[in-house]
Amino acid sequence: MRLLWSLGLIRGLVWGIVGTAIGIGFTMLVRMALGKPAWETAPVTFVAAVFGTLAFLAGVGAFADWWRWASGEEAGDPPHHHEGPEWVRYFNFDTDHKIIGVQYTITSLVLMFAAGIMALIMRLELAQSGLQFVTPEQFNSAMGLHGIVMIGSILLGVAGMANYLLPLMLGAPDMAFPRLNALSFWVAPPAAILLFLSLAFGGFDTGWTGYPPLGAVGATGKQFFYLGVFFLGFSSILGAINFITTTLKMRAPGMSMFRMPIFVWGVFAAAWIQLTGTQFIGTSFLMVVLERLLGMGFFDPEKGGDPVLFQHIFWFYSHPAVYIFVLPGLGVISELLPVFVRKPLFGYKWVALSSMGIATVGFLVWAHHMFTVGLPNEANTFFMFTTMLVAVPTGVKFFSWVATMWGGKIEFRTPMLFLLGAFVTFLLGGLTGPFLAVVPVDQYLHDTYFVVGHFHNTMFGGFVFPFLAAIYYWFPKVTGRMYSERLGKVHFWLMLVGFVAQTGSMFQTGLFGMRRRIADYDPSLGFDTIHLIGSIGGYLVFFSMLIFAYNMIRSLVAGEKAPANPWNSRSLEWLLPSPVKGVSWPTPPVVVGHPYDYGVPNATFVRLAPAGGSDRSSQTTTPAHETKEANR
Amino acid sequence: MKRHSVLIPTVLTFLLGIPLAVLLWKAPLLPPNAVREGDLVDFLFRLIAAIAGFVFALIVSFVGYSLIAFRRRPGDTSDGPPMHGNVPLEVTWTVVPLLVIFGVGFLGTWVLFEIDRPKPNEMTVRVTGFQFAWLFEYPAYGIRTNELVLPVEQPIKFEVTATDVIHSFWVPEFRMKIDTIPGRINVKRYTPTRIGEYTLRCAELCGAGHYAMLARVRVVSGSEFLQWVAQQSGAQAPEETLSPLAARGKELSDQLGCLACHTTDGSPSVGPTWKGLFGKEEPLADGTTVLVDEAYLRTSILRPGEQIVAGYQNIMPAYEGRLSDEDLEAIIEYIKTLK
Amino acid sequence: MSTHVSHATYDRLAINRLGLWLFIFSDALIFAILLITRFALFGTSRPEELNQALGLGLTVILLVSSLTAYRAEAAIATGDRSGLLRNLLLTIIFGTLFLVGVVGWEWREAPHLGIVPQEGYGIAFFSMTGLHAFHVLTGVLLLLIVFFNARRGAYGPDNYWGVEAAVKYWHFVDVVWVFFYPALYLVR
Ligand code: HEA
Ligand code: HEA
Ligand code: HEC
Ligand code: CUA
Ligand SMILES: [Cu+2]
Repeated sequence: MRLLWSLGLIRGLVWGIVGTAIGIGFTMLVRMALGKPAWETAPVTFVAAVFGTLAFLAGVGAFADWWRWASGEEAGDPPHHHEGPEWVRYFNFDTDHKIIGVQYTITSLVLMFAAGIMALIMRLELAQSGLQFVTPEQFNSAMGLHGIVMIGSILLGVAGMANYLLPLMLGAPDMAFPRLNALSFWVAPPAAILLFLSLAFGGFDTGWTGYPPLGAVGATGKQFFYLGVFFLGFSSILGAINFITTTLKMRAPGMSMFRMPIFVWGVFAAAWIQLTGTQFIGTSFLMVVLERLLGMGFFDPEKGGDPVLFQHIFWFYSHPAVYIFVLPGLGVISELLPVFVRKPLFGYKWVALSSMGIATVGFLVWAHHMFTVGLPNEANTFFMFTTMLVAVPTGVKFFSWVATMWGGKIEFRTPMLFLLGAFVTFLLGGLTGPFLAVVPVDQYLHDTYFVVGHFHNTMFGGFVFPFLAAIYYWFPKVTGRMYSERLGKVHFWLMLVGFVAQTGSMFQTGLFGMRRRIADYDPSLGFDTIHLIGSIGGYLVFFSMLIFAYNMIRSLVAGEKAPANPWNSRSLEWLLPSPVKGVSWPTPPVVVGHPYDYGVPNATFVRLAPAGGSDRSSQTTTPAHETKEANR
Repeated sequence: MKRHSVLIPTVLTFLLGIPLAVLLWKAPLLPPNAVREGDLVDFLFRLIAAIAGFVFALIVSFVGYSLIAFRRRPGDTSDGPPMHGNVPLEVTWTVVPLLVIFGVGFLGTWVLFEIDRPKPNEMTVRVTGFQFAWLFEYPAYGIRTNELVLPVEQPIKFEVTATDVIHSFWVPEFRMKIDTIPGRINVKRYTPTRIGEYTLRCAELCGAGHYAMLARVRVVSGSEFLQWVAQQSGAQAPEETLSPLAARGKELSDQLGCLACHTTDGSPSVGPTWKGLFGKEEPLADGTTVLVDEAYLRTSILRPGEQIVAGYQNIMPAYEGRLSDEDLEAIIEYIKTLK
Repeated sequence: MSTHVSHATYDRLAINRLGLWLFIFSDALIFAILLITRFALFGTSRPEELNQALGLGLTVILLVSSLTAYRAEAAIATGDRSGLLRNLLLTIIFGTLFLVGVVGWEWREAPHLGIVPQEGYGIAFFSMTGLHAFHVLTGVLLLLIVFFNARRGAYGPDNYWGVEAAVKYWHFVDVVWVFFYPALYLVR
């Protein structure tokens, strides 16, 4: 009991429930005082959800230090010591970026699992024409939840990788704002709970895009969906503040922007999108909630509003958001490729800047999701050109990867296989982008399974495969143990085959006119076989992920001890013991060279400062003038 | 280090890329096209498919070759040659895709403006989408129907809108789709070229019944079209004498779009027919039967989800709060007359 | 089990400042969205009935409060504790006045003038003033915390980040109003 109560998660849940109850009571009292009927689902649940979330955070202990500061005490630097068993930290409000990184990653996988179940329900229904297992309403809820929870899972996965790696790679003791960092993680669990609560209130049948007027009427479940996304967005914004500040201000001495590991560039570019864009989806959803609760007709034409305005605001985030998903993922590809190819990253600067290029151009393309809403053709043309422009910086990445491989010594370990999987799937996803970018063609393909195929390929290639590569690659760093290489390879091949079957069927049916977001399709279209293949593929992917889960859990307990630097990598994080104990870099290392100088004789990346007291520095010392140069 | 020449992967690229491009250009990847504007769309589609196929082959050839030629030999623990970059190369693979993109972009722009260009002697058809059915109006003939009939080779201007939420007007064989948005009228033009039967499919998620929001589309010869028009105009003239209340009900069920899903002549549609409905024993989806009386009609209209007729989906919108009592009376009165 | 690290190697103040600016930048976008919404829905039209005198008065109050906030920061920078307290208190009073003016007066009056939150111009009017009032409220709360901490003697000429942060936030809230006021009351 004592132990349970010492877990922040449990305290948070209990407080959350109490807070929800207080919220309900409070709203009902206020409503009675105002002479209205005490119960009306929408407003009562709205207040209760907000109260519950805040209470959850308070119960976890997220506000403790701020409360101390507000009441005039010095809170000081966040503590780096703790009592009790180590695992308890993972369930508590902890400011260590490594803990937070793992918390994010595990939460991400759990959400991915839940969203995967939703996908399996859909695929079961779609395996044959006719309605067999679920009603159309249930299908729509499963579909929307699958989409939004997967997207949430991606955001958390990105934050997980970034949190764990940024300070280690930059030579910093921790993130710039450790408390804020922990807070932004702990906002995510209640947000996820809200999303799933929507099922208890009639579900939501709008898909993850939540377009009004459909979103503005009907079941209260939609309100939970909007609120859940709003909180997720809030968490994402706070995270971005940390990533940007840490990157700009906490780099080790000598590490100029162009000596940063390339993964950091990916996160940095993505963080700018998170910081600016996320407000747009958050606000657009809040506006719909206001329309539902108070009747403010932002998007209701009869009240002077405009449904298309919502789409502009929504996509102004949600397009760039897809680059939040991929930029860190592509960063992982660029980061790991040199290690497994044993060659420097080809065109480092171009690759780094292409991330910024993608992030920038990404803000100018949002209306390509709206080619059928009847915008003036002049506008459509503009968005067609800007959209296709993104292919240029993305192409730079691709060609640079190809050139990186050229002439190398490629080693096929599990992470490398996942990089190759990412490569092919992202290429397929990317190349289907220009089809959608060209207005007349998109007016045919819009809202068909072709689009579904496009984005599963980009998201698997740009996030899922690299994420898995990253987990395999840094598993020894995080746990000090090796995973099973054999199971890893089985996982990869099963997943690849399943995935190709799944998205192959999406492309094929989409081209032939299969609409998105339908529970049942016309048997006369003759899609039954192809859909069945797609369903089998989807189940294979899920099954392969179970193997992955087994591999991770088994290796965590019984894997062999990992060598200090199993990949022979030149990166900073491998200079530290695995797992990293305590403060990541109590004294920053001194950076004197470039991170990817594989094969360069006598190249040095860092010198450990004397206090670090370790010999695991790179091979040679460097003349003093070089250090100075780097400091400029 | 042995110098590898790019010859092999380059040859591979063409060996793989050209057949792939040709295949993608030729393959019947889309359903047959039935409108003039669609030819241009199909052309663009094939062009992009061919280019994408070639680019795919290019990258896959080089990667595939590298994976074989540059794999690590057992026992070799050395690093590869330190190549850091090559500016001319970087510039090339920035500029060439840029040129391709501008080429495709210009063609796309031209096609876009071409397909949306107004044509002489267009016929206007007004389309209204609502949960979960379609209504078509032919202002020139004063006809309202739930089946879209179009004369072949006649340029049509569709003016589309919606009454409740956003829907999207899409006939796959007509290629382009256009959203129907409450409070807006969108315009799209098609010239049907192929006689046949097609299905209009709502392409924007609009609620539980979205998947079933279909309508029949027929492209017919000019003379057949005129015949159909004559028949429709006849059908809509008041042939029998209805009480004022029932007449009002008839008018309402047309305006409210009931007749988009229900027929009055006994033929089945999205919903059960109204002919002979009143007084009959209706089998329900839960296995029971119910006598159709006024009370049942009332609940079926206000809250259709409560009792679902056997063999039908629960997609009829609830009219609770949308119908006044008098209007409801009138509609019920009208249904009663349909013996 | 781990060493304590001092983050002394890093310029904490610069880090905090950057973080605050990033936050403000992000927050500003919400205001931008509502501003865009207002012009997208209603163009440059605006109802005649708005209480112009009240709007102008409130704007003046808010601008003056920015001045006092500035003086509070300047005071502590030179170690003038009583100046800090006096100016903080003035800022809080002005801020509260503004809130009362918007929420207590203006919001009560507007529906009688035909500006309701549910439709037409009222959508923009109430959402924009509401969002801004919410920020003023948080600003006042922050200033209150700083005020009480200052009374306990928490700040000195070389450590007044708390004051600086609250004041910067306050300026931000004021600057936003400088955009909102003409958009709501003046454009034509
Ligand atoms: C990770 C996510 C991700 C990524 C990276 C992308 C990348 C791209 N997307 Fe995608 N997209 C989505 C996720 C993503 N998308 C999602 C989720 C949706 C649906 C949302 C919804 O409605 O639910 C969507 C929908 C979507 C649409 C709207 C479709 C519709 O609803 O009608 C469009 C239209 O233009 C589009 C285009 C593109 C383009 C041009 C790219 C480009 O960035 C791709 C660039 C890459 C390449 C082109 C390949 C590599 C380049 C080369 C090898 C160089 C040479 C190439 C050429 C010269 C062509 N996407
Ligand atoms: C990352 C994003 C992501 C991922 C991975 C997936 C994965 C899958 N998706 Fe999904 N999908 C979306 C994002 C994603 N999807 C989005 C955004 C939409 C749009 C929704 C909308 O239109 O609103 C969509 C829509 C969508 C549709 C269209 C629905 C419709 O329009 O009607 C379909 C249909 O087949 C589908 C199928 C699948 C299948 C079978 C998988 C399978 O690959 C799933 C396999 C399962 C997993 C990958 C999870 C397994 C994980 C574990 C077992 C965890 C291991 C755990 C530990 C170690 C703890 N998806
Ligand atoms: C989107 C299609 C749709 C529209 C529009 C629609 N209906 Fe229906 N209606 C159905 C379907 C499907 C059923 C059968 C399922 C059920 O009972 O809910 C049905 C059932 C009914 C029934 C019960 C019939 C029976 O056989 O027992 C009545 C009465 C009815 N509708 C009246 C109306 C009226 C009146 C309107 C317009 C004001 C209307 N409907 C509009 C689809 C529709
Ligand atoms: Cu109407 Cu979908
Ligand atoms: Cu996009």
